[in-house]
Amino acid sequence: MSVRTLKGKRRWLALGGCLVWLAITFFPLYWVLITSFKTPIAVVGGPTYLPFVDFEPSLTAWSELLSGQRGQFFNTFLASTIIGLSASIAATFIGAMAAYALVRFTFRFRLLSALIFVAIAFGGFLVGRHVLGYGQGISLIYAFVAALALAVISSRFRLPGPELGNNDIVFWFVSQRMFPPIVAAFALYLMYTEMGKLGFKLVDSYIGLTFAYIAFSLPIVIWLMRDFFEALPVEVEEAAMVDNVPSWRIFFGIVLPMSKPGLIATFMITLAFVWNEFLFALFLTNSKWQTLPILVAGQNSQRGDEWWAISAAALVAIIPMMVMAGLLSRLMRSGLLLGAIK
Amino acid sequence: MSQVRLEQITKSFGNVTVIPPLELHIADREFVVLVGPSGCGKTTTLRMIAGLETATSGSIRIGERDVTDLRPGLRNCSMVFQNYALYPHMTVAENIGYGMKVRGTPKAEVDKAVTDAARILNLGAYLGRKPSALSGGQRQRVAIGRAIVRQPDVFLFDEPLSNLDAKLRIEMRTEIKLLHRRLQTTAVYVTHDQVEAMTMADRVVVMNQGRIEQAADPITLYEAPANLFVAAFIGAPSMNFIEGRLEGGDGGLQFKGDGDVAIKVPENRAGKLGAFAGKEVVLGIRPEHTMAADAGAPTVKLTVRDVEPLGPHTLALGKVGQAAFTAQVHAASRIGPDDQIEVPIEAAKIHFFLKETGKAIGR
Ligand SMILES: Nc1ncnc2c1ncn2[C@@H]1O[C@H](COP(=O)(O)OP(=O)(O)OP(=O)(O)O)[C@@H](O)[C@H]1O
Ligand SMILES: [Mg+2]
Repeated sequence: MSVRTLKGKRRWLALGGCLVWLAITFFPLYWVLITSFKTPIAVVGGPTYLPFVDFEPSLTAWSELLSGQRGQFFNTFLASTIIGLSASIAATFIGAMAAYALVRFTFRFRLLSALIFVAIAFGGFLVGRHVLGYGQGISLIYAFVAALALAVISSRFRLPGPELGNNDIVFWFVSQRMFPPIVAAFALYLMYTEMGKLGFKLVDSYIGLTFAYIAFSLPIVIWLMRDFFEALPVEVEEAAMVDNVPSWRIFFGIVLPMSKPGLIATFMITLAFVWNEFLFALFLTNSKWQTLPILVAGQNSQRGDEWWAISAAALVAIIPMMVMAGLLSRLMRSGLLLGAIK
Repeated sequence: MSQVRLEQITKSFGNVTVIPPLELHIADREFVVLVGPSGCGKTTTLRMIAGLETATSGSIRIGERDVTDLRPGLRNCSMVFQNYALYPHMTVAENIGYGMKVRGTPKAEVDKAVTDAARILNLGAYLGRKPSALSGGQRQRVAIGRAIVRQPDVFLFDEPLSNLDAKLRIEMRTEIKLLHRRLQTTAVYVTHDQVEAMTMADRVVVMNQGRIEQAADPITLYEAPANLFVAAFIGAPSMNFIEGRLEGGDGGLQFKGDGDVAIKVPENRAGKLGAFAGKEVVLGIRPEHTMAADAGAPTVKLTVRDVEPLGPHTLALGKVGQAAFTAQVHAASRIGPDDQIEVPIEAAKIHFFLKETGKAIGR
């Protein structure tokens, strides 16, 4: 049903409701926009609503922001862009491959193998730390490598106990998004500092933050892409298999192009997540690779409530995402996301 | 030489056995059609030949090669699917040439193969289009084009025409037949449409629950079905069956059945059928063999339920005793529901089956 089919009073009611909702969602944005053009005096002197009528717009906030008086603005924007793009591209790519494997191949392993991994990883760490007297970082690396190797080897044998399959693996991925991120952020910070002591600088580094974002985007990517791949007709791939097209060509030459809409949507969702992410950036960066959300939030704590400056910074953080959203809706309307598989 | 041999092939999905040991030899250049009711294992058998399913046991040979454990790409088969399975993001030309391109064939050669295929299949005008801009028949032709440029040892078709409308289906049927005559490649064709099976095949393999009920040329299937299943499956409208028993007596061998049916067994068959005197049997007669002209023909009494005028002739649907019976009568005959009519039966066209096993007897 569309609003057009409504008649008379109900039509005006529907229209009115929509307008009210539009005003509610747009007002904060509008407020931020005009505030960024107000002078400090105009901001503290009580509410004014219309530029040129209520107050005289000024570029103070913007020139302060762009001239670097408000922190390393260009650097931060660049860091956000580089990390956001590379983490979302990598996560979409790796996640798509994982999702494809989970859709088209059957995996079976015993719960016991998974338990072996957990037991060795934790036990090995404790043993390394307290019995053998290694440092935290070294114990961690040894324990995880040993745990992974033993778990893989153990899955070669017919172990007793319940068997797990593809759905369990997917649940495992998605379940990582269920606990509060602060748990992981804190642990990750400790792990990164330990690695730093071993000479691999991860805190406040491009690699460190990008890795963290890839890892935390993967569950969503896998989940979304799995649905896209499941919707693809398997006969197309089977036709290619019969035609002696190698598996990797089937994936890159046929499956990926067929799921382009899904890839684009997933990439944008991931990018939005990474772009707006605050907690990991707060823990894992301090100056060089700080991202925009940290800079915006920092405005308040560093300089007090200078709303004009905060508004300008917030807008800069919002605009790229608005451009992305605009592009996405254009893509949707142009039908790229529909009917690609036929 | 590319004959296909399925030797004691079986297939189980978990605990469910879909194909019990199955033996099928397909000669070089033969056009074999697998036909049977839904779920009887036709697709599974075809996919095992293609390598898309692995056989649980047994072996598969194509030509001189044992391909049982070979992956699909190395078996040199081409498969055409029911829903076309074209690459949606490629043009028709790219669809047809993709396999060759991937296998590293020089571009000039690929182009030539694509042009040839397009000419054979009348696709020349569409080479630059995407599949989404084609009709169902055109898409299926592209799929066939993709199959022929492979120059396979064996063509595999899985119900390629069932997504097309009736008229197009008949056209494509002829096209595929002509194509086979021209290319002379061994072909295995799956369908559940018996008309398609009868019209296209050199040999029809009738399957039921994973077993082969009969494998023979179309005319043999029609004239000498090996058992009740094949008799009922082949022919439309399907064969009438009357249960009863064979009785010997002074007047020779007689079939006595439900609904006061008494039919004298012709002399030339009495000899072979004599051994079954006293046994429960099923008499089979096709509707088209109930219009005998000669006066002495045996008759059965049909209570008409419904009349279907088809033009050339009319079908009278009803019952003989308790058994459903369809008779073909002259278009001019004036009969209506609830009439009782005497239907003549062509004695030479009668089939007998042993009720216990369903096997045809007396030939
Ligand atoms: N992957 C599978 N897992 C379990 N059972 C299966 C699987 N594939 C097929 N079957 C079963 O095997 C039997 C044969 O299936 P198949 O697809 O070969 O039938 P078919 O003869 O092609 O039927 P149709 O005419 O409907 O296509 C069916 O009973 C089906 O339920
Ligand atoms: Mg089938």
